[in-house]
Amino acid sequence: MSQGLRRKFLAGIAAGVALAPWLIASDARAQAAAKTTITFAGVTFSEAGRGDKLRAWVDKFNKSQDKIEVQSVGLPFATFANTMFTQMGGGGGPDLIRFDTIDFYAAVPAGRLLPFDDYIKDADYKFSAPNDYLKSNGKRYGMAFEISNYVMMYNPALLKDGKVPATFDELLAVTKAATGNGIFGYAYRATMAERNGFWQDLCNFVFGFGGRWGDGTNLTLNSPKVVEGIAAYKRMYESGAIPKGADAATYRRMFWESKVAIEVDNGGVAGIFNQQAPNLAFMAAPSPFPTRAQGLILAPLTVNANTKNKDAAFTFIKWALQPDNQKELQDLLGASSVATAVPRSAEDLAKKPWLKVYDDQTANAVPQLVQGFEVRTPELQQIIIEQVLKVLQGGMDPQKAMDEAQELGLAKMKK
Amino acid sequence: MSALPNALRITTVLALLVLAGFPFYWMFVTSLTPSSQLFASTPQFWPVWSEAGVYREAFQKIPVATWLLNSLIVAAGTTILALSIALFPAYALSRFKFAGKGVMGLSLFATQMLPEAMLVVPLYALFGQFNLLNTLTALILANTAFTVPVVVWILKGAIDGVPEEIEEAARIDGCSPAGIVWRIILPLIAPTLAAASVIAFFHGWNEYVFAQTLVSSESLRTASVGLAGFVGELSTPIHTVMSIAVIYTVPAIIFYLFVQKYVVGGMTAGGVKG
Repeated sequence: MSQGLRRKFLAGIAAGVALAPWLIASDARAQAAAKTTITFAGVTFSEAGRGDKLRAWVDKFNKSQDKIEVQSVGLPFATFANTMFTQMGGGGGPDLIRFDTIDFYAAVPAGRLLPFDDYIKDADYKFSAPNDYLKSNGKRYGMAFEISNYVMMYNPALLKDGKVPATFDELLAVTKAATGNGIFGYAYRATMAERNGFWQDLCNFVFGFGGRWGDGTNLTLNSPKVVEGIAAYKRMYESGAIPKGADAATYRRMFWESKVAIEVDNGGVAGIFNQQAPNLAFMAAPSPFPTRAQGLILAPLTVNANTKNKDAAFTFIKWALQPDNQKELQDLLGASSVATAVPRSAEDLAKKPWLKVYDDQTANAVPQLVQGFEVRTPELQQIIIEQVLKVLQGGMDPQKAMDEAQELGLAKMKK
Repeated sequence: MSALPNALRITTVLALLVLAGFPFYWMFVTSLTPSSQLFASTPQFWPVWSEAGVYREAFQKIPVATWLLNSLIVAAGTTILALSIALFPAYALSRFKFAGKGVMGLSLFATQMLPEAMLVVPLYALFGQFNLLNTLTALILANTAFTVPVVVWILKGAIDGVPEEIEEAARIDGCSPAGIVWRIILPLIAPTLAAASVIAFFHGWNEYVFAQTLVSSESLRTASVGLAGFVGELSTPIHTVMSIAVIYTVPAIIFYLFVQKYVVGGMTAGGVKG
């Protein structure tokens, strides 16, 4: 490589740096435009398929306004909550945030969110029941952006004799039979790297076996039904039917490519499969656990307490709550539902038979929180997951692990 | 090593080369593997060239070029600023005796013990006060702050290796202190400057936490954040991620190729005084 060429290269770098102020200036110019620009951050904007449709939905709002513009900001799921809390802690952050439930419950007591009550009256909208979980001390701090149930999704082509499991023992047998030749019978998360996803999958097992993390007043981390659910999680882990270590994005793709036979997953995933892999003939059925209770994804749309554009933020929320916009949002989200009840069309139900299975699950949906300790769920989640990892990877007895979890949890709650 | 037979040396070097290069090759092959083959029980070791359209799509449908330009500005800005700032304390630590010299040196080291995640909230608030949020300048400044201490120590080691007699001679010939640094020291430590520039450049190029937190505008997004943005909650487009990862790696390799001639000499410079 000649000296001259090297010098030109380095000069190029210097020229690149010289471009920085221009870019910064152009951004400043954009901000100085006549419209009030607010930002709306959410992981959904980053998702293949749903992300583009969601941006188009936001653009529809922008076209309807001459004084407000909403800029959508897609961020990675893994670091979303950390980034939001960092920005909010530093006095900034996006104006509108689509949080996950657990992060919502961390943000409310920290005073990070604006109450809706001055702008949105519950009486003016037909909010569905899960929206009540978004109130704290009688004040509403969010509206449901996406409500999604969990059911069992399966690929009929991979099930031996087409048998769909209805009990947990059948699930173990069917998934073991389907495993082999690069195909896995079942998939779920069991690593700290995917803490929130692990928690969601674990809640499905525990709730399905009739357990709850709390009874509304006391912690019940070591109650028999919780321990039964965790023992079942361990049985599946040791069955040889799961791709251990595969993250959700990978095993969902494997399901899409007919390499995984069964998973218990939410309606958003079903929607993505339907949009992105139209040839995948998947089906859905209630999860094969002793009870029908399963987790509920409740992703609220919230307003950052640091916003300097309160009116603009709530103008967007009011627009989002209009019936036509709710229907459009529900359609693009897949098998999820939205803040207000929007009936599915007969045509949709006929084309997507799994939609009804997801919708029917609503009556048995339980938020993935520690009942009675909702605000402290993130701390308890950490304890529970660490103990369950000892069961899965360290061979600890589930009862002993959860007894320890109960003790640790009680000690934590006293602080 | 010289006692080893040539064949063994070549085999060892080739084995190390494969070990180092395979992850990149695997990334490339995965980007060009048809969807149906992605999870095949027998892995695909050769690219399927008919899948190359994924690279065209990356540039047509995704603002990869903008992300790369932003990353280049941040990395180059960090490199230039860090080297410019670090030269003076490095020279002072090497040549001058003053009270608190040891404390200053240790303090520089201590900054390396603070993780980025710990400083990101106060930095966010600080940059907010100065209206620097959502600018590439913020990223250049934050990365420079983290890079300067390392660069100072690298340059100090190199300056230690330059005999003071050379400076004396220049001084007698009428060269000013700044002239000594510019005309005498800098050319003599050029290999170390190259090595330090590699460290600073790669820090700026790869950095994620600041880039994710201090910048929210999608037009100012760097490639590290843009790439991570594809790892979604519910799905991840593997071909897109792998193709962008390959594209993201190439400029860094090119930069290294340009400066690698100096790097080995620079890395060892200052290791031996005299």
